[in-house]
Amino acid sequence: MDSIRKHPEIKCFVTVATIVAQLEVILTEAKSLSLTSKNARVVAIRAGEAALGFKSITNFINEFSGRTIQTTEHINLHASQLFKLALHHLRASQLEQHLAKSLTILDHPESKKLYSVAASHVKDAMVALKHELQNLQWQFEEIEQQMRAAEYIAVTSRVEASQAGEFCASLESVSDYISSAAMRIKGAIETNLNTLDELERVFK
Amino acid sequence: MKSTDLYQGKHHKWIVFGRDQGKSEKIIDTNQYMIVTNQQTMLLDPGGIELFSAMLAGILSHTELDKVTTLFASHQDPDIISSLGLWDKTIPKAKLYAPWLWEGFIRHFGMDNIEYKSIPDEGQELRLDSVTFRFIPAHFLHSSGNFHVYDPEAKILMSGDIGAALEEPDAPMFVEDFARHADKMRYFHQRWMPSNSAKKNWIARVRELEIDMMAPQHGRIFKGEAVQEFLEWFDNLEVGIVNS
Ligand SMILES: [Fe+2]
Ligand SMILES: [Fe+2]
Repeated sequence: MDSIRKHPEIKCFVTVATIVAQLEVILTEAKSLSLTSKNARVVAIRAGEAALGFKSITNFINEFSGRTIQTTEHINLHASQLFKLALHHLRASQLEQHLAKSLTILDHPESKKLYSVAASHVKDAMVALKHELQNLQWQFEEIEQQMRAAEYIAVTSRVEASQAGEFCASLESVSDYISSAAMRIKGAIETNLNTLDELERVFK
Repeated sequence: MKSTDLYQGKHHKWIVFGRDQGKSEKIIDTNQYMIVTNQQTMLLDPGGIELFSAMLAGILSHTELDKVTTLFASHQDPDIISSLGLWDKTIPKAKLYAPWLWEGFIRHFGMDNIEYKSIPDEGQELRLDSVTFRFIPAHFLHSSGNFHVYDPEAKILMSGDIGAALEEPDAPMFVEDFARHADKMRYFHQRWMPSNSAKKNWIARVRELEIDMMAPQHGRIFKGEAVQEFLEWFDNLEVGIVNS
């Protein structure tokens, strides 16, 4: 990690890579959450009257897991753009560093000109990257909110499940699954938000 | 980075950069060549990314960047052309002449602006202002797609990895005592050059050229007699050997 402190431009790259890796976790969890809600709905229908409340809850779960999948897939689509920006920024900073080194060997007006152009490219690249990362942060915060709702629903659904007679145990396990999946997604989001935060501190 | 004038003619000059004091000792020392014509400048095997800043400073003490119109890469190795990604931003309008075989590989060094000019297997001519150069095939010596640059006016052959020697960082620029120098070349040629028939082929081709100076990408430059001594020595050397 020491090298990252010395070379913040590498940090961008690592950040994007970390985030993309976490996206996979979120997507997998959200997909199985959506599947679980569909299965639970079938069970709730079979349970009839006793599980009416639970049935309507499965609709909610299905809805927010669907939204989480959508947001995550959207972020995934942008990941290649993010990598491109990070690579652009990395290359620009490398050029800037090499030009600075060249200036120490020979203080030539052409090198100076190149250096100032390179420095402004680094700034532009940084602005573009920061803009994208800000967007990303908002999207993650949105998913985080959905997961908070999921945790709340998990609690409610547990109450509903307890009234579903012979289906009680099976629906209860669904509630448990929802709350644990929501926690895992929240964990992944937290990792990403922290990574973004760290990056911001490096840039300051 | 030391620079040495090799040739000054009516229409152009040759400069060699090498013996970089700033480089880490784990990096093989390389010679970079620069040809300056009236309006243009060509860099031959511009070198690795580690050398970029020293090279830039070196070039600027001889010519303006706008005039650096042409790059040449004899083959795809990192010590030849891994600086490309930085040149791409520094001289975006330049053209890179390199073996067609390596285009998809060399582009991995980063190339958004510079134009890739594929050299066909049989080689080709290149004119810079009033001077004509020839890309001479040297395939499988060592790279499977590989060219040297011949300048009929200056009678210089830039011979890439052929004639290379593993040298001390402060070694002289020219071969003085061939027999002693041969010791520093043997391993390099036996280990890095894979094909005896490619070697024979190349020697026959090169014997037809009038050469005053043979300028390799590593080690010392051969002048006059030493050029023929090298060809003789190379002809008798078995290559493609792992343990020697
Ligand atoms: Fe090579
Ligand atoms: Fe080489």
